Amino acid sequence: MTDSAGSGDAAAGPVVEFHDVTVAYSGRPVLWNVDLVITGPAVFGIVGPNGAGKSTLLKAALGLVPLAGGSIRFDGAPLAAVRHLVGYVPQRETVDWGFPVSVMDVVLMGTYGRVGWFRRPGHREREWSAECLRRVGLADLAGRQIGRLSGGQQQRVFLARALAQRARIYLLDEPMAGVDAGSQEMIFGVLDGLRAEGRLIIVVHHDLRSAASWFDGVALIDMRLVAAGPTASVLTPKNLRRTYAGQPTVLEELSRAVATGGRTP
Amino acid sequence: MTSGWPVIDPLHAWNIATAMVVAAGCGLVGSLLVVRRMSLLGDAISHAVLPGIVLAVIAGGRPGGGLVMLGAVAAAVLTAWLTAGLTAGAGVAEDAGTGVAFTTLFALGVVLVSAFASRVDLDASCVLYGELELAAFDTVSVAGWEVPRGFMIGGLVLVGVVVAMAVTWKEQVFAAFDPAAARAAGVPVAMLSLGLLAATAVTTVAGFGVAGAVLVVALLVVPAATAELLVDRLHRLAILAAVIGMLAAAIGYLAAWRLNTSAAGMIAVVLGGGYVLAVLVAPGDGLLARVCSASALRWRVAREDRLASMWREAEGTAGGGSAGPLAWLATRALTIEGAVERSAGRWRLTAAGRSRAETIVRSHRLWEAWLGRNVELPLDHLHPPAEWVEHHIGRGVRERLAAEVGEQAGDPHGRAIPPESARHRAGDG
Repeated sequence: MTDSAGSGDAAAGPVVEFHDVTVAYSGRPVLWNVDLVITGPAVFGIVGPNGAGKSTLLKAALGLVPLAGGSIRFDGAPLAAVRHLVGYVPQRETVDWGFPVSVMDVVLMGTYGRVGWFRRPGHREREWSAECLRRVGLADLAGRQIGRLSGGQQQRVFLARALAQRARIYLLDEPMAGVDAGSQEMIFGVLDGLRAEGRLIIVVHHDLRSAASWFDGVALIDMRLVAAGPTASVLTPKNLRRTYAGQPTVLEELSRAVATGGRTP
Repeated sequence: MTSGWPVIDPLHAWNIATAMVVAAGCGLVGSLLVVRRMSLLGDAISHAVLPGIVLAVIAGGRPGGGLVMLGAVAAAVLTAWLTAGLTAGAGVAEDAGTGVAFTTLFALGVVLVSAFASRVDLDASCVLYGELELAAFDTVSVAGWEVPRGFMIGGLVLVGVVVAMAVTWKEQVFAAFDPAAARAAGVPVAMLSLGLLAATAVTTVAGFGVAGAVLVVALLVVPAATAELLVDRLHRLAILAAVIGMLAAAIGYLAAWRLNTSAAGMIAVVLGGGYVLAVLVAPGDGLLARVCSASALRWRVAREDRLASMWREAEGTAGGGSAGPLAWLATRALTIEGAVERSAGRWRLTAAGRSRAETIVRSHRLWEAWLGRNVELPLDHLHPPAEWVEHHIGRGVRERLAAEVGEQAGDPHGRAIPPESARHRAGDG
């Protein structure tokens, strides 16, 4: 089996399309009508304030939360058809790092999709996983229990697991949260390498300053898409003011109304 | 019953074997429950299956038969479904939702057992407390052999659990560790959870005969919780949990037999004792390990302090030796190590001792110099932190400190910083 990033459409870059996507948590909309096309190869940032729905957008793309409306396509296909081409790096705090597995065990999880049911990862998968660990600078720690790593190292293990998947499109949720400067540098270096290989990397990110220097393109989100495009043209004072308004928007009020069925609380 | 210690008659042997196969199955399933932080759900399910079992028996099922297992699984799924419904739908806190769902179902089971006691072949006390002592008397014929029913059921459940876990192992681990990423990768996390739920229900039913509804959760949770303290890989944890369960079953049964008390109760007590033992002796984080490493540190500090104080005495910057039994012991130990010798009625450092002492004083003064330069502290505040930190500064840190403060500078009190000793420089790689 060859690297599937190269299969078929070598000419066309990877594409993620959000068509009029609305997402609601138990009846309360948190994202309204996001219409966004992201084309690779690129490192693309999704930026916005807390509670803006950035992570929700990723989860919706991965089918982890249901869509209330709209559709999402990867290279023109629904997720179910191209699942193994889409890699996901969840927020670090979502898992229990005391869990009894080694660094290598976690990276190998990235290969499970290709290994399939009823089979165990073999020599080839182990070699490849070790190579992925080398790329994130953790080759020496393969046998270590994951709880004995620093925050930055844990995040790099997650990145290595995504690398092991050989995906074409990567979705990373806050990979820089609680990560030391050295690890940040290394992670962005790895993402640059993935872009150079023709892949599309979408990163949910909270830090505006580093966003300007790391991302080719940016989408500003605050319950709806405020602006999207090349980083320099999007991160304007006007757009930032609209994103970080800091006061309840009409959308929040409307979401509350939808959640309570029109009754005023 | 209690005659002869070494001789175990076949009836007791069968009872022990029954307890062991059941405990092994429970230990395996429990290991997944424990690492998923679902121990309480295990408790809930072990109680909530009761009405399912009673209804299945009323409908004509045999205890431990297929219909009863089906009833138990249905009740377990109902518990999980009710809990999730109460939590998500009605906004109840999860622990409260679980508490309400399983106690209600368990109570319903108790009511059903009592109400239909005359009509069903199900003894309330047997279900609640287990009757391991009698397991060997209820036999079925397998290929001409009379095998206890409980052993048959436990054995079949164990085989089923082992096969199911072996076949879905890597997916189970992925789903347990990182359910979101597993779902994104296409692993049917919900199906696996349902499977674990069903396995919990079935092992629980097999466990009723051994430990009863009240104590079966001990078989389910305690071996895995104990194993979790001792190993840090899930496959080892699962196997160790099964072994711990089997050992506790055998030891508990024999102890109960000797003391003429409840086997189920004694097995659970042995499990609890094993857990406490593991807390004490667990590697790394165990109490014993922590006490040992703290003592080792104290002992090293005492000897290093003794060396440094003798070095300063020779330098003329500090007078008098340290008193106290620990300092006395440290001096004796240093003599044996060849760092200190006694000549002309006085303790003196040997060449090796001097080299060791210089390393400590060097660490101390480098740290004082660094603190004095980087942190605004009065001069008399520099010594106490350095007195503590000097024992934790390795060669790498010393080199960085020396590079930052400079060798020639001396410490803030105006004393020279001894050079890196030859012994350490020779170790340069």
